[in-house]
Amino acid sequence: MDDVSDDLAARLAAGDAAALAEEHGLARIGSRPALGAYIRSLWSRRYFIGVLATSRAYARNQNTYLGQLWALLNPLLWAGVYLFVFGVLLDTSRGVDNFIGFLVIGVFMFRFTSSSVTAGAKAITSNLALVRSLHFPRALLPMSIVLAELATLVPAVLVLCVIVLITGEPLTWSWLLFPVAVIVQWVFNTGFSFILARLVAQARDLLNVLPFVLRGLMYTSGVFFSIDHYVGTGVLGSVLAYQPVAVYLTLARSCLLQDFPPDPLVWGFGVGWALLFAVGGFLFFWRAEEKYGRD
Amino acid sequence: MTDQKPLGEEIDFEPDVDPTDPAPKPGADLGGLSLIVDDVHVTYRVYGGRRAAASGDELSVVRRLLNRTNRHIGAVTEVKAIRGVSFVARHGEAIGIVGRNGSGKSTLLRAVAGLLPLSGGTVYISGEASLLGVNAALMKDLTGERNIMIGGLALGLTATEVRERYDEIVEFSGIGDAVNLPMKAYSSGMGARLRFAISSAARPDVLMVDEALATGDAEFRARSKQRIDEIREQAGTIFLVSHSLAAVRSMCSRVLWIDKGKLRMDGPVDEVCDAYQEFTRPRRPAR
Repeated sequence: MDDVSDDLAARLAAGDAAALAEEHGLARIGSRPALGAYIRSLWSRRYFIGVLATSRAYARNQNTYLGQLWALLNPLLWAGVYLFVFGVLLDTSRGVDNFIGFLVIGVFMFRFTSSSVTAGAKAITSNLALVRSLHFPRALLPMSIVLAELATLVPAVLVLCVIVLITGEPLTWSWLLFPVAVIVQWVFNTGFSFILARLVAQARDLLNVLPFVLRGLMYTSGVFFSIDHYVGTGVLGSVLAYQPVAVYLTLARSCLLQDFPPDPLVWGFGVGWALLFAVGGFLFFWRAEEKYGRD
Repeated sequence: MTDQKPLGEEIDFEPDVDPTDPAPKPGADLGGLSLIVDDVHVTYRVYGGRRAAASGDELSVVRRLLNRTNRHIGAVTEVKAIRGVSFVARHGEAIGIVGRNGSGKSTLLRAVAGLLPLSGGTVYISGEASLLGVNAALMKDLTGERNIMIGGLALGLTATEVRERYDEIVEFSGIGDAVNLPMKAYSSGMGARLRFAISSAARPDVLMVDEALATGDAEFRARSKQRIDEIREQAGTIFLVSHSLAAVRSMCSRVLWIDKGKLRMDGPVDEVCDAYQEFTRPRRPAR
């Protein structure tokens, strides 16, 4: 090559790259963006997050004859199984008046968190090809994945409300709070997914542990039984009752069931957990931004 | 190789410009620097396999057993894909990257584009580098129409920009009404054409092309080459990874030859391509 590039190569060899870059107005790449810039770039991609989420939710039911009808049929079938087993075969109330309403809300809202977290944990590892071919703030992957679960929940919530009405619950003003409870839970799910997505990206082995953690959560969050009734209100009972997943189940029940009056303390815990996980999880995820896609 | 060089009046021209390609070969009016790659290293972690430990003969039975278990538990190998590559690129340059399979060409491209974390060294760039290829963002269960939106947004376009370019993308891909069918129903050629049409809708500062030109029929190849030339005129710098030396010779002015993760040669296109050809040829008759 000509003299100019020989000169450049010599300067590069002399460890002068940073000065050379500054001289020509070049920016260093592969460093983690500042938090403000990161949030702004996420905000400018908000439409992409939405399109990715709805496309993902839509594609899920695309390979069948009934197509999108499955979005409604799937939760109906789940409800049918639980109603049959617990309402007809076992016919148990387990210390709750409207056990069927209690159970269906518990199962649906728990599934919302467990499926969000399961999919969100794989946000980076299952999209490595995408991460390695395009630039975008990586946080939009867990966000869109959990948003897709929210989109999947909407038809399930309709089924849920109809079932609860059939069990004889009156339609009250507190039903208006139900969408708020769902949003708060969604924020929590997103935060939880941020944390798991980073951990799994660094050590995939965690994916093998996650199902056990979720199964444990299912039995300790009062999905099938009332925590008060079985564990009591001692220290253990309080810890179980105010851990995030149990809080969100109680929150949803307090909106739809007469048995569960709205409790400001539960709302406080619900919003608190959501903010803690969302902010903490986002920061935790962002701090490894430049490392995603490595392996 | 030297005796094919023309003598006489032509000697002051650029040596060996491919006569079939009138595309502008930047060289005289190179702009400022667009990219500095300074001693870049990339290390992959590979799960589920480990290279066999050195000569097992003199090892004890216990050591051999341990070695054997090691291949199944905690088997994570670090692969040094790029080992200290440095170069600078200027606006208006079209740079080819050649090398044998597994030499680290694609890895280097992705590392320089900022898509693979570096394990050492630094890359400085003006503007944003973009890899030509949205394949990973598309969903085969969804229609071509939906995928144009997803792909466009993934490339960083706004929804309005995608809608503006929608007709152009469909027309360029030439898939017609099939745009309303799910992409899994497309033939491989149709899929490749739509992917190329989507990914070339964005106009980056530094464009990286990884073997994207090998798809489609002859007519589409010609059209896509024309599109690449257009992009090159707008993009400051273009990188092309290819196994086809003909493609590299026709599109690039400068070539980097990567071998075993290191920069083996960096120079004008014909000089490096000839040397590379010379290097690969004698291997075949040997043995």
